[in-house]
Amino acid sequence: MLSKTDASAAAFAVAAVVFFLIGGLLTTVVPPLVDKTWGKPFENSDPSKGPIGKLEPYTDLERKGRDIYVREGCWYCHTQQTRTLLADTKRSGWRGVDAPISTPDEFVYDSPHMFGTKRTGPDLSRVGGKYDAQWHKTHFRNPRDLVPGSIMPPFPWIAENPEEFDAMVAYLQKLGRAKDWRPDHDYEH
Amino acid sequence: MQEKQLTTGAVSPSGAAAVSPSAHADTTAKWFLISAIGYFFIVGIIAITIAAKFVWPELLGTVAPLSYGRLRPLHVNGMLFGWLLAADMGLTFYLVPRLCGVRIWSEKLGIATAALWNVIILGAVVSLLAGWNQGLEYAELPLALDIAVVAAWIMFGFNIFATIGTRRYAQMYVSLWYIMGTILWTAFVYLTGNFAVLAATGVNQANLNWMYVHNAVGLIFTPVGLALAYYFIPKSGNIPLFSHKLSMIGFWSLAFVYVWTGAHHMLHGPISQWLQTIAIVFSVMLLIPVWTVVYNFFATMKGQWQQLRENVPLKFLMSGVVFYLLTCFQGPMHSLRSVNAIVSKTDWIPGHAHMAVLGAFSFFAVAGCYYAIPRMFNRTLYSDALANWSYWLLMIGGLGFFVTLWLGGVWQGWQWNNPAIPFIDTVVALKPVWLVRFVSGILMFAGIVAFLYNVLATVTGAAGVEKPRAAAA
Ligand code: HEC
Repeated sequence: MLSKTDASAAAFAVAAVVFFLIGGLLTTVVPPLVDKTWGKPFENSDPSKGPIGKLEPYTDLERKGRDIYVREGCWYCHTQQTRTLLADTKRSGWRGVDAPISTPDEFVYDSPHMFGTKRTGPDLSRVGGKYDAQWHKTHFRNPRDLVPGSIMPPFPWIAENPEEFDAMVAYLQKLGRAKDWRPDHDYEH
Repeated sequence: MQEKQLTTGAVSPSGAAAVSPSAHADTTAKWFLISAIGYFFIVGIIAITIAAKFVWPELLGTVAPLSYGRLRPLHVNGMLFGWLLAADMGLTFYLVPRLCGVRIWSEKLGIATAALWNVIILGAVVSLLAGWNQGLEYAELPLALDIAVVAAWIMFGFNIFATIGTRRYAQMYVSLWYIMGTILWTAFVYLTGNFAVLAATGVNQANLNWMYVHNAVGLIFTPVGLALAYYFIPKSGNIPLFSHKLSMIGFWSLAFVYVWTGAHHMLHGPISQWLQTIAIVFSVMLLIPVWTVVYNFFATMKGQWQQLRENVPLKFLMSGVVFYLLTCFQGPMHSLRSVNAIVSKTDWIPGHAHMAVLGAFSFFAVAGCYYAIPRMFNRTLYSDALANWSYWLLMIGGLGFFVTLWLGGVWQGWQWNNPAIPFIDTVVALKPVWLVRFVSGILMFAGIVAFLYNVLATVTGAAGVEKPRAAAA
């Protein structure tokens, strides 16, 4: 059959598209139909099934903060996924408590998704509630004032702009909080 | 000149030329190539700047448009679309008419495509520096520019298919399949990654995004890059391709296997386990198309390796083939869960990605430029010695870049897997690696400058090189 494509551009084009579309459709259109957790927001009130909580849509302020996160390319250096690796649950954890693993139902309201591919800085999927606003302000002004040796760039235009700063912090504090896992709420607000 | 018999054994990229070489105006190819090489240089400066920011994080730190988060997408998009894809399109405009024994279907349409492409790249520079970023990797550009890309691609694809439709030889040489495949697959892949993706959220969106990101490399840059290698290796070495049949196996297995692997970008992440497993299985199967292609090239070179001493295009091509082999060995290995747990998200990954885009596909494109540009302008290359310098600078810079990032990445991955080590210590540990990467970047950039200068001196005839070539083909 394929030898025909050797001399006929039309036969070639049909075969090339068909070969491609088999995998193309089976890996893009079909998976969300099979795995319903991709589209259903997280909700759990039974502690025996893991952390309880509910995924709420972003508020306007949080969404604005998220837009700044996208605009500034924070996502080129920070991932947002606590993977099924022991080290990830420990690194995202807090005061000896391991962070829960990220599941698809926690990201239903995310667009653009911010899962990321590179960890130049730490994963931020569970950073909500870890630091207070003052910490973030100092950190955005110059990360090295708080963390010597950091290579995170300074973001003075966020730190010095109260509107943008509040939005940014609101977004960061929301990250990973659908699952109520953080043992200590002392850094909040 | 109709060739009735279909060949399956050794073949040459063209029979007797049906159209005399001087009949090709090549205006489109020239425009694409000259602007692509210009962007290679400009985006090279951005590349060095972001490498420097890893060493001196406060460099340009108070200027928002020049911060890391704005320059990095400009570097990636600039290199992928401004340099590499434009160079690939330019070389396609060079080789398709020659392989078909006819003139390009429409030179005017081609020039309009090149002009539109330049508008897109300039628009990309402005919007990315301004922070108008869609937030999806490789799909950062705003919607208006995405639509312009689709228009340019239709113009490009139409011109190429129309040329192939008027060809003099029935049997199509391998490069033509890869080019047609690129045009068709890119359409689907690009639409998925830039349009369909906007209708989805969360994991569903990420899955479409990775399908696009992965296939931008696998079904755009890979096939068009291989089209160049299949043409320029036999051409610049003046040797027939070892096997037509083997190239068919390589092509059709690539067409079938590549698209399944997108989810390997989220191994261990919040995406269904079974989809991860499918992506792993198909990632390993990728070894089939890669090894058949590479075997074909090596077998073509049999008894001809001494040519590498003098022949700069061939040097770039065969080094590119080796980098291709290595990248495509790494890829399947990363997709194994155990290896992935160490290297994923580390600096290993940019090491791997640069070997593919710079080491393999850019080397093919540079070789094509060194071969085709003097022929299009009917001149000899300004300086073979300078071309040789550009090879060694890019080679040594590239190796320095790849190897240090691999070593650094593995080390980083080991450290991350021990949660007792504070994160910041793993940052500080990588600082020597980033310094070496910066220095390697300077070497590569010097190679780009040598390449640019050589090309410009050739086309302007600045240094009095207007000796016409004896035999151009
Ligand atoms: C060039 C890479 C880079 C960019 C871009 C970047 N960061 Fe960072 N970030 C780091 C590094 C490295 C660290 C770890 C050292 C430190 O805390 O400063 C870090 C740490 C952080 C932390 C502390 C995490 C923790 O668990 O301790 C937060 C929060 C953060 N970054 C937010 C942001 C935001 C928001 C942006 C965008 C406005 C951003 N980062 C952009 C590299 C980056």
